[in-house]
Amino acid sequence: MLSIRQLSIRSGAKKLVDNVSLSIREGDWYALVGQSGSGKTLLSQAIGRMLPPNLQAEGSIFYKERDVLALSSEQMRTIRGSKLSYVFQDYQGSFTPFRTIGQHFEEYQKAHGCFDSRARQRNALDALDSVGLDESVYKRYPFQLSGGQLQRVSIAVALLLSPDLLIADEITTALDSVSGHRIMEFLAKRQKETGFAILFITHDWRPVKRYANRIAVMKEGQVVEAGEKEHVLDHPQHAYTKQLINAAPTLDRVLAASREEAEIV
Amino acid sequence: MKGWSLPWPKANKRRWLGAVAWLCVLLVGIVAIYAFFVLRHDPTLTNLDHRLQGGSLQHPLGTDQLGRDVLTRLLLGGQQTIGYSLLALTVSLVIGIPFGLISGFRRGLVDRIFMRIADGFLAFPDTIVAIVLSGLLGAGIGNLVLAIVIVKWVSYARLVRSTVLAESQKDYVLIARTNGLSPGKIMRKHLFPHIAGHVLVLASLDLGKVILLISAFSYIGLGAQPPTPEWGAMLNDARPYFQSKPEFMIYPGLAIVVTVLLTNMLGDYLRDRFDVKKEVQS
Repeated sequence: MLSIRQLSIRSGAKKLVDNVSLSIREGDWYALVGQSGSGKTLLSQAIGRMLPPNLQAEGSIFYKERDVLALSSEQMRTIRGSKLSYVFQDYQGSFTPFRTIGQHFEEYQKAHGCFDSRARQRNALDALDSVGLDESVYKRYPFQLSGGQLQRVSIAVALLLSPDLLIADEITTALDSVSGHRIMEFLAKRQKETGFAILFITHDWRPVKRYANRIAVMKEGQVVEAGEKEHVLDHPQHAYTKQLINAAPTLDRVLAASREEAEIV
Repeated sequence: MKGWSLPWPKANKRRWLGAVAWLCVLLVGIVAIYAFFVLRHDPTLTNLDHRLQGGSLQHPLGTDQLGRDVLTRLLLGGQQTIGYSLLALTVSLVIGIPFGLISGFRRGLVDRIFMRIADGFLAFPDTIVAIVLSGLLGAGIGNLVLAIVIVKWVSYARLVRSTVLAESQKDYVLIARTNGLSPGKIMRKHLFPHIAGHVLVLASLDLGKVILLISAFSYIGLGAQPPTPEWGAMLNDARPYFQSKPEFMIYPGLAIVVTVLLTNMLGDYLRDRFDVKKEVQS
């Protein structure tokens, strides 16, 4: 569905993302893993042509046989939001502070040609309902909601027009683990219902192990390893992948360590 | 997050100051508008039989050297001075805000070109521009307003740009873009309300300066032309009679001082209210 071919992103002479090729199939939960500064976010921004103006993308990104990088900005605008949508880490900043949640829903639907106000409101309430929020949220301002609620609203907004690809950039990083877990559950539920693909950017292995079906590992702007989840997790080829997997805390190792401690005492 | 409410005084030590400033500005406004309805004299009608009279029931503040009623001229002068100041500021805002919005939002090449244009305008001091313009186009209040606009719009463009540069990095602008909103819509609906407060503060602080500028240029004869009643021009008219009738200079002078003081008070108050000290001071 989406295939990135030999994409490089440069700032002047410096390559920030180097010759990356990836392809995402329909219904994939594609995890993009790597430490900060490895170019994950830039890569995701390039897909929606959201890069800052001082960075140039080279190569090609094919979305359904069309090169995204060659589209006009009007064509790009119709794709953004309806076919491709984003959820970011900073839930506080994801909403314009002086507009209600409802106004956000209204505006985004209007921008994509939904001019029936009743339908708009119904869509919005359905979307909120699908992430476990009730009608009262519709009239609220962003600062009246908790972090977990806001992030759920962002997901509702992002999935409002049933996109083909959702780019989730560190969406649980700023949340506590319980809220984060709920967000992931809602996302998984919605994906099962509608079958969109997710590009899930993270540095946390736990959700990757649980939800992803394919994984790409990025380091210093390059994809060092990519493939099916089981393959990458069980038989990591690259030294960096091994290092990452070993660095991730797992429950059994923690338990083992504490048992040892208990024995020593 | 502050509510989007009218900037009425908040509960603090200086609330009275804000309230006083608002009330007085309201009062000046009412007086200036109401003057239309209570005028008993033609402000430009000369009557040499009644020249340089003291206060009387007929002429509460007396008459000037041509026998015109001073109170009438003072009230209408307020309309002229404040009106043209507001006009100059409004035109500056209308040019400066979109300029700054586009420059800050687009960034890159557009921003660089726009800002070099702005720098070019910034190089002109207001006095020089006003004198040159009145030399080229003739003295008159219209040209004076033009000169003020040429000098003033840049500071609004720069203020708006700096705010927009910071704001447009935030995620809500990114999200609005990822949801397919057009740049025009993002600027109008998502960025403009952020900058409105800052711009309002700067504009109210500038109002006093512009009033002074208009009065000053009218005083030296480059602004309002006689017989237009304008405070600066009235000061100039009264100059030869300073020794015999000092009050004719004091009335318009006082009017200018009080109005400028009030707009500054209001500006200070708004600045505290919107808490944008650093942007305004730069």
